[in-house]
Amino acid sequence: MIRLWIILWVVFLSEQAAVHPLRLSLCEIEYSSKKQLLSINLKLFLTDINEALVFDPNSKELAFCQPNESVKANEMLMNYVNRFFSVRANGKLVDLKIKSKKLSGEGENTALWVYFEFEHPLPLTSLEIKNAVFTDLFFDQNNIVYLHVDGKSNSMMLNKKTPVHRLKF
Amino acid sequence: MYPKAQRLPIFFLFVLLSIGCKERSTGTDSNTETEAELIKRSLEIHKRVLTLDTHADTPLRMIQPGFDMAQRHDPNETGSKVDYPRMQEGDLDAIFFAAFVAQDIRDDDGHSRAKTLCLQMIDSVIASTKRNSEVVGLALSPDDAYALEKQGKRAIYIGIENGYPIGNTLANVEEYFTKGVRYITLVHSSNNDLADSATDESGPEHGGISAFGAKVVGEMNRLGIMVDVSHGNDSVFYDAIKLSKAPIIASHSNARTVTDHKRNMSDDMLRVIAKNGGVVQLTMLADYLREVPPNAEKDSAMASVRAKMKPVSHMTDEERKALRKSFQEINQKYPPPPATVKHVVDHIDHIVRIAGIDHVGIGCDFDGGGGIQGVFDASEVMNITIELVRRGYTEAQIEKIWGGNLIRVFKEVQAVAEQLKSAKAS
Repeated sequence: MIRLWIILWVVFLSEQAAVHPLRLSLCEIEYSSKKQLLSINLKLFLTDINEALVFDPNSKELAFCQPNESVKANEMLMNYVNRFFSVRANGKLVDLKIKSKKLSGEGENTALWVYFEFEHPLPLTSLEIKNAVFTDLFFDQNNIVYLHVDGKSNSMMLNKKTPVHRLKF
Repeated sequence: MYPKAQRLPIFFLFVLLSIGCKERSTGTDSNTETEAELIKRSLEIHKRVLTLDTHADTPLRMIQPGFDMAQRHDPNETGSKVDYPRMQEGDLDAIFFAAFVAQDIRDDDGHSRAKTLCLQMIDSVIASTKRNSEVVGLALSPDDAYALEKQGKRAIYIGIENGYPIGNTLANVEEYFTKGVRYITLVHSSNNDLADSATDESGPEHGGISAFGAKVVGEMNRLGIMVDVSHGNDSVFYDAIKLSKAPIIASHSNARTVTDHKRNMSDDMLRVIAKNGGVVQLTMLADYLREVPPNAEKDSAMASVRAKMKPVSHMTDEERKALRKSFQEINQKYPPPPATVKHVVDHIDHIVRIAGIDHVGIGCDFDGGGGIQGVFDASEVMNITIELVRRGYTEAQIEKIWGGNLIRVFKEVQAVAEQLKSAKAS
């Protein structure tokens, strides 16, 4: 099971973003051959999501994770995410379906966590990760990806110039 | 070797505008010195003194597949602020690259992963210095900066931003030291097992530095690692002053009286760090340098466009593109007031007034959000020197600001480590 990031990691990012836009998102991908489970956790600033989806960073229209969440919220979110984010496991495109979402942080520091989980019975031999979220909005958007495959951790940063990276195991 | 260095257009503009000005006297060293002469003199000083930046998050760039520190990158295209050619262009002699790992759950598994990721970032810095050994060198001691400068190479030091990868294992501190780490920022934007953050929305957890954090400070003293209090809350600062046997640093923090931000340091803290013999390193984060007033005109223009919007879900792709363009045009028409090198030196002036010339330095936070008008990346750092000269700082004072003060603290930290080892041996 993928791990939950503590809320205040986001503060760093948004603190920096408010200062001089250091645009960052975080993605954690974990695979356990024992559990035969591939999990993906995307952490995105809510202001960035709102900017991307409804042109207003402070919009309450989609109301993610609120009792009045828009019926279109997930559809709009995934329409966007699928354009800019993808994972191929053993060459096969992973069908991203939201398993859960949650908000963390407050105000401008609020982040939306989007969690995906898949059964992956075959041994993982390769991963191709594309993460260009918000590069359509910000030229200097950077997306950190942490990979944890059978206990081995690795990190990379993807952005507009380098949106895709492939790894073999 | 690199091709002939290219100055950034912004710097050229700065120089050309200055030369283009009336032959204004500076009122500093000479009443007849022109702007052009002042800039020439400033650049000569900048060349002579050791220029050391104590904080860059460039290791984050180093994990970008294909990113090459030996290549010059356009900051306006890529957002990258530091590479070796631009350090050379800016005559930036030495830099601390900070290994940063985003904080995860604080348990054994989380700490273990953080340590792995942190060591990978440190290794990426070391590998980069080896690959580019003609132009840079890994620096471990205070004197290495001067030795490498004499060889015409840039000195690359390593720091860790956030003690989270130490976890709760004291032995990790020595492992990082052995790898080359020479300062550790105790905490980052959320509380960890060592200390409380200035920006943790859940508030303080330890009342400053924890019992384990106190042991870490002691271990850093023993090994000769500088204790960095940037990002800690005020109690962390005062605890570090009490606990550390050596002077402390704030690797990237500004003056709170000049810009009211909780990441900046109060006048009392400035006085205390002066007494401690430590140093505050000025950072180029715009919101720590100046405040942004509300812009009613911009808000009104935005509201006007939004009022005419149809529901986003009913828009065609073309309509969405057009709308995006409208908002971008408003943002371009009403940009926030820039933070400039004048703001930077306003903060330096204030710290010098309160703490004295021996307790201020530079830690730009490039690749971590740092970068302002006139000091947008490593190639433009000479503009700080020009503004210092303009305000009448002498070469000896500029030498202290640009590296002398930090090197003094670094030497004292290592001397304390030697004393502690000697005391234990006897």
